[in-house]
Amino acid sequence: MNNFLNSLYDQFRLNFIDDNRWEWIVKGLKSTLIITLCALIIGLIIGIIIASIRSTYDKNLETFKLRGGIGYHIMKFLNFICHIYLTVVRGTPVVVQLLIAYFIIFASSRNGIYVAIFAFGINSGAYVAEILRGGIMSIDNGQFEAGRSLGFNYLQTMRHIIIPQVFKNVLPALCNEFISLLKETSIAGYVGIVDLTKAGDLIRGRTFSPFMPLIAVALIYLIIVLILTQLVKLLERRLRNSER
Amino acid sequence: MNDKTLIEITDLQKYYKGGEIKALDGITNKIEKGEVVVVIGPSGSGKSTLLRSLNLLEIPTGGSILFDGVDITDKKTNIDHHRQKMGMVFQHFNLFPNMTVLKNMTLAPMKLLKVSKEEAEKYALELLDTVNLADRANAYPNQLSGGQKQRIAIVRALCMHPEVMLFDEPTSALDPEMVGEVLDVMKRLAEKGMTMVVVTHEMGFAREVASRVIFMDEGKIIEEGSPSDIFDNPQSPRLQSFLAKVL
Repeated sequence: MNNFLNSLYDQFRLNFIDDNRWEWIVKGLKSTLIITLCALIIGLIIGIIIASIRSTYDKNLETFKLRGGIGYHIMKFLNFICHIYLTVVRGTPVVVQLLIAYFIIFASSRNGIYVAIFAFGINSGAYVAEILRGGIMSIDNGQFEAGRSLGFNYLQTMRHIIIPQVFKNVLPALCNEFISLLKETSIAGYVGIVDLTKAGDLIRGRTFSPFMPLIAVALIYLIIVLILTQLVKLLERRLRNSER
Repeated sequence: MNDKTLIEITDLQKYYKGGEIKALDGITNKIEKGEVVVVIGPSGSGKSTLLRSLNLLEIPTGGSILFDGVDITDKKTNIDHHRQKMGMVFQHFNLFPNMTVLKNMTLAPMKLLKVSKEEAEKYALELLDTVNLADRANAYPNQLSGGQKQRIAIVRALCMHPEVMLFDEPTSALDPEMVGEVLDVMKRLAEKGMTMVVVTHEMGFAREVASRVIFMDEGKIIEEGSPSDIFDNPQSPRLQSFLAKVL
């Protein structure tokens, strides 16, 4: 038993204490969090724009058709662009998207973090857009009609009546998207970024002892995810309470 | 158009699938201030479509609607502005589930008419009192019965000081014992002189409260007249067979 504990301690020293290797883990974690957070913000912005266009188009199709005009053609075009974006992003692996962003789109840039933020943001935007659109379309059409019949215009109805209800419905799904995004960033090592995963792998390559660094990395992801999950649960309970 | 006319409908059409389905097939009618017009007819006759066209929730494919002398079917008309003066009550209430009764009622006056919160709440409470629901001001819609929800929906629309109230089968989704309380509120509203257009299957209400009854079938107005004309002396065979089934 003592032997086992001793060897465990030796491994721990070798992998994290010697040469200050723990600093790699900290730096890697920092990159992972920065990429995740920034990509999330970009994803939310893209998601909100796309979901607005798509649901506006779906909700007002009949009106657009009857009233015609240039507005209908603009919306039709925008909706088409959004559709292509969603199809491409959701139909290809995120690793491939990251590689394309790094080696083709930003071939001249060697700042991996920015490229990763861009790629993950674009990717996440597609999923966020569909979550939001699903949320908007799930609200009973009677709510729209009630808002419009009181004299609110389309945007006011969205803002005062629909969005607050959508927000409650989609918050859990959005938090789950955040959690998946965090885990997906573990492929950032493909384009030379030292994120949490890559940091653990680098230590493994240096010390030839895979157990400690890789398990440590896994535990860190797990802890972050558990904390986030717990927060989502709290949030859901809160939202449910406020509706009574 | 004389100054008593509030809504003037001319040759209103609503076609689907390029004219294959004619929900409204050339409706012409005038609704005067203070009138209570009840629209009856079999399901699929276009009566709801007609009502929903009046505030353009359904956009007609042809014809025109003058409201207060303004053609609201004109693309250049700001329909949102005119809808503020047309209250609407739906079959399924459509209260906002995430807001209290009071918030449901004060949202539109505060945001659209720029009424202060105190003023909006004061008026809302006054209206709630008239429908005996002042004690439910802070309740959420899912804590209310169907009849209560519909009474709230009526006073929510009234908070905007509408010139006309449109009722789209307001009692069809209610349990039978709650129909009376909603019809009561509507009756009192009519007695106060509110202009009302009501689509309903409640023939008793039509007979008692309506100043004019319109019978529709297949997107057309088949017959119209005073309640006694329509119910006691129906002319067209279609109205006669309809009444034989529902009375």
